[in-house]
Amino acid sequence: MNQKLSTGKKILIYIALTITCLFFLLPLFWILRTSLVTKTQAYQMPPDLTAKLTFQNYIHIFQKGDYARNFLNSAVVALLATGISVAFGSMASYWLTRKKGSSTKERLIILAIQMIPPIVLVVPFASIMKKLFLDDTWVALILAYLSFTLPYVIWMLFSFFDGIPKELDEAAQIDGCTKLQTYFRVVFPLVAPGLMATAVYSFLVGWNEFMFALVLTGNKTRTIPVAIAALETQAGIQIAELCAATIVAILPVILLSSFIKKYLIQGLTFGSIK
Amino acid sequence: MSSITLKNICKTYEDSGVKAVQDFNMEIEDKEFIIFVGPSGCGKSTTLRMIAGLEEISSGELYIDGELMNEVEPKDRDIAMVFQNYALYPHMTVFENMAFGLKLHKIPKAEIKEKVEKAAKVLDLQDYLDRKPKALSGGQRQRVAMGRAIVRNPKVFLMDEPLSNLDAKLRVQMRTEIAKLHNRLGTTMIYVTHDQTEAMTLGTRIVVMKDGIVQQIDTPHNLYAYPCNLFVAGFIGSPQMNFFTATCQAEGDKAKLILGDYEIELPEAKAKALIEGGYAGKEVTMGIRPEDLHATDTQVLATNPSCEMHAEVNVYELLGSEVFLYFNFCGANVIARTEPDTKAQVGDNVGFVMDVDKIHVFDKDTEVTITN
Repeated sequence: MNQKLSTGKKILIYIALTITCLFFLLPLFWILRTSLVTKTQAYQMPPDLTAKLTFQNYIHIFQKGDYARNFLNSAVVALLATGISVAFGSMASYWLTRKKGSSTKERLIILAIQMIPPIVLVVPFASIMKKLFLDDTWVALILAYLSFTLPYVIWMLFSFFDGIPKELDEAAQIDGCTKLQTYFRVVFPLVAPGLMATAVYSFLVGWNEFMFALVLTGNKTRTIPVAIAALETQAGIQIAELCAATIVAILPVILLSSFIKKYLIQGLTFGSIK
Repeated sequence: MSSITLKNICKTYEDSGVKAVQDFNMEIEDKEFIIFVGPSGCGKSTTLRMIAGLEEISSGELYIDGELMNEVEPKDRDIAMVFQNYALYPHMTVFENMAFGLKLHKIPKAEIKEKVEKAAKVLDLQDYLDRKPKALSGGQRQRVAMGRAIVRNPKVFLMDEPLSNLDAKLRVQMRTEIAKLHNRLGTTMIYVTHDQTEAMTLGTRIVVMKDGIVQQIDTPHNLYAYPCNLFVAGFIGSPQMNFFTATCQAEGDKAKLILGDYEIELPEAKAKALIEGGYAGKEVTMGIRPEDLHATDTQVLATNPSCEMHAEVNVYELLGSEVFLYFNFCGANVIARTEPDTKAQVGDNVGFVMDVDKIHVFDKDTEVTITN
């Protein structure tokens, strides 16, 4: 039932929403502002709000360091880890929801894998990758990320696949579909919103991950989070450049999220609107 | 031609050990309309799904047109199936839903369009071809599911309780549509239902199942008039047959059923069956259909009325063309379907006569029919 809100209530709601938005957005605005001033102005207290804005920090990070390369590394690693986990994870999840008999045991194993704290895996992973001559390669990082994105994708997609009646698969089979055709032509379009939501999360994990990247990467494959951390030098924190680098790192995520916002909301609310 | 042969078909679920279907044998001729009927869990849907290839056959052989189908994929069996919940593809329009199977079989686009439009016309769906399933009513969705099956022009149509999600009026309407469709297409159809009215009105032959075992395979008339056991007698017919425990008493070649204080003189053929079966002096189960019990205040239509009994009416139900009278007699709850001119009301002590030619007698232990 839609209740008409009184003006007083509406004002209160807007004030609450504005405060919440400011709470989350102010730090971002401050990072943006800092990225557009010089280092001296950035540290000035009280802040000089009339300072002239400049893109010098942005130009600097791309010219001085390997930021473009770090950006590429992050993009490749996050995209490939996401692509692989969504491709294989969705099929694994689909199979587990459609297999004959109970899949409770398998589901619990998938859940248990997610419970392993990533830090436990860092040292063994580094040692294994070194032995396999894979240290400082994209492959090492992608494999590391897959160890937690893959179970996450499988687990998340259970509810989406469970929500699709098995009769649809059976109807497709009778209509003439092979198992693969059933998956791609009937089931896949129906779980697309769920896949999108899961893929975005998976991408964010890869894009933001710091610990594995710090241990497994060298100069060649350094990713953005490690590169940003490296801006804290012996000469002090390059705060303006650091903020510029942060803004550049945030941009793809904002673009990606707004591009698939529709699917994301649909995916996140999938279970609740059944 | 599309005949189906089921030879000793069994289905056992390995994980639970449940025997869903046991030793199912049947020959289905071309153009037959076969109905699988029975209570929930009797194995009727499982049998249908085994024919479709959606369930593995544990043992036995399934032939379609003489070809062994046990290991053949559903897509290669040339069958179409209508599901209980329709199973329409929600992301496709009505046209795409109906065309999907044809596209997969690489039929030329022009031919697909022609076939879908023809089927849509038959099912009165022309105006809905661009709609998605969610924008359709239950009846329309059901018709799309039928259309998806029709366009394929399959060897066999399989229908798994296709009308159970519809309201009563639409169900009757669609039942007629399905009967017309079968007459027009002449395709072999297998139809699963637990609604015995659907079974009686649609089927050329009916398979009655219980606990995974086939009880009787026969025409609707024969099932109704000559049930092979107590279960079939009780399951087919609405309201169901009235049952009483009676004692058989024989004198020479004559036999009577003793029902409390009443004696029912049996016709010669029925008496002979009981005497020859060695039931003299034994307890048996007697069955009589509600329409073979007549209130004596009406114009009695029985061919051989006998044994006037009296009972107090508990419930009176007027259905327009007929009246159901409920009463308790010899410890059994009894229903009589009488003519609407009866004056009987709740609480009245009413006289009833039985049509003894229509009495069924069953073995009390094995529940097998002794005489119909």
